[in-house]
Amino acid sequence: MSDKTPAIADMTFEAALAELEAIVEKLEAGKVSLEDSIAIYERGEKLKSHCDKQLKAAEARIEKITLKSDGSAGGTEPLDVE
Amino acid sequence: MSTLLLHHDVFTEHEPPQGHPERADRMRAVERILSHPHFEDLRREEAPMGQRAQALLVHPEDYVHAIEQSSPTEGEIALDPDTWMNASTLEAAYRAVGAGTRAVDAVMNMEVNNAFCAVRPPGHHAETARAMGFCVFGSISIAAHYAREAYDLDRVAVVDFDVHHGNGTQDMFWANEDLFFGSTHQMPLFPGTGAVSETGEGNIFNAPLSAGDGGEVFREAMLSRIFPALDAFQPDLILISAGFDAHERDPLGSLKLKEEDFAWVTLRLMDLAAKHCDGRIVSMLEGGYDLAGLSSSVGVHVKALMHGTGEASQPVDEDEY
Repeated sequence: MSDKTPAIADMTFEAALAELEAIVEKLEAGKVSLEDSIAIYERGEKLKSHCDKQLKAAEARIEKITLKSDGSAGGTEPLDVE
Repeated sequence: MSTLLLHHDVFTEHEPPQGHPERADRMRAVERILSHPHFEDLRREEAPMGQRAQALLVHPEDYVHAIEQSSPTEGEIALDPDTWMNASTLEAAYRAVGAGTRAVDAVMNMEVNNAFCAVRPPGHHAETARAMGFCVFGSISIAAHYAREAYDLDRVAVVDFDVHHGNGTQDMFWANEDLFFGSTHQMPLFPGTGAVSETGEGNIFNAPLSAGDGGEVFREAMLSRIFPALDAFQPDLILISAGFDAHERDPLGSLKLKEEDFAWVTLRLMDLAAKHCDGRIVSMLEGGYDLAGLSSSVGVHVKALMHGTGEASQPVDEDEY
């Protein structure tokens, strides 16, 4: 990837997901050269991991909020990320 | 048993620009491993020039003419972002075609049991009218069509275990139920094709694998999807698109195959060839971009072809790299 490619750790969820979707579309459409395809695939894997981490962090925050609003310790309701 | 090796110096003279992964050093690594005493019983021949009429079995005349006209007298020209020609590429591409057709002649005439074509450029990405993915002519597809035409064979199969899907072979086999194409490959990855749903006339069998998959998943894909279909097809000849870039060391793929997996698939294909077609196999080199992984994998593959035993899974001179 070029030096101008944004660092994944600094990307918002929306930006990472948009780039990931673009990568998937390019790979499925055969728009990537053979030589570049593995590097692009690997960036896609890192973007997916970054998005997963952000979703898990958001889910954990929602669980915490649910606990506070219930006022009891009786279970949590994880966010449906679908 | 006897095995024919087709090779030629021109396969080290086709050279894309510096830094390109499909480089002449690949062929030097293959030639070096096959010069080991383990391979002294190989019958060796220089690959002859393929004929224009053979290329025309799968490519339109306009395309062949354009490739011939593109051949530079010096320097390199790009046919696409991946695929380059220098002054030796046209001859190398035609000798890759000639290697495949000569190998077909040798196994059909029972001069040898099987053959390995140590060729480059590779061929399985070249479509009917489009050079791509380092490939100029669809060498293995040409060999399949040639075998049917020259020897009146009813059914010819290609099994492709390169890490990239053999879109070109699939393209050339798509509408012909007498030609079988079975492929394992990483997906998603270049060239984007190779889904299970791509079945042609019921003669295409794709078994996509995921990044990180190793020998166990690869063998299960072969056992559950490719081999039963190939067995039912009852081939008169089996061709192998032998790409070794699914090796765990390869920089252009993320599968984790080891030498023993390449030996295993070769031996199982030999079993099916023994059952259906008197052991007739022609194998052609496709990808493989880590020199150590490529040469040791070629070593076990050719040892398997020569000896037909599990001992083939032991790499040759693995400490040398």
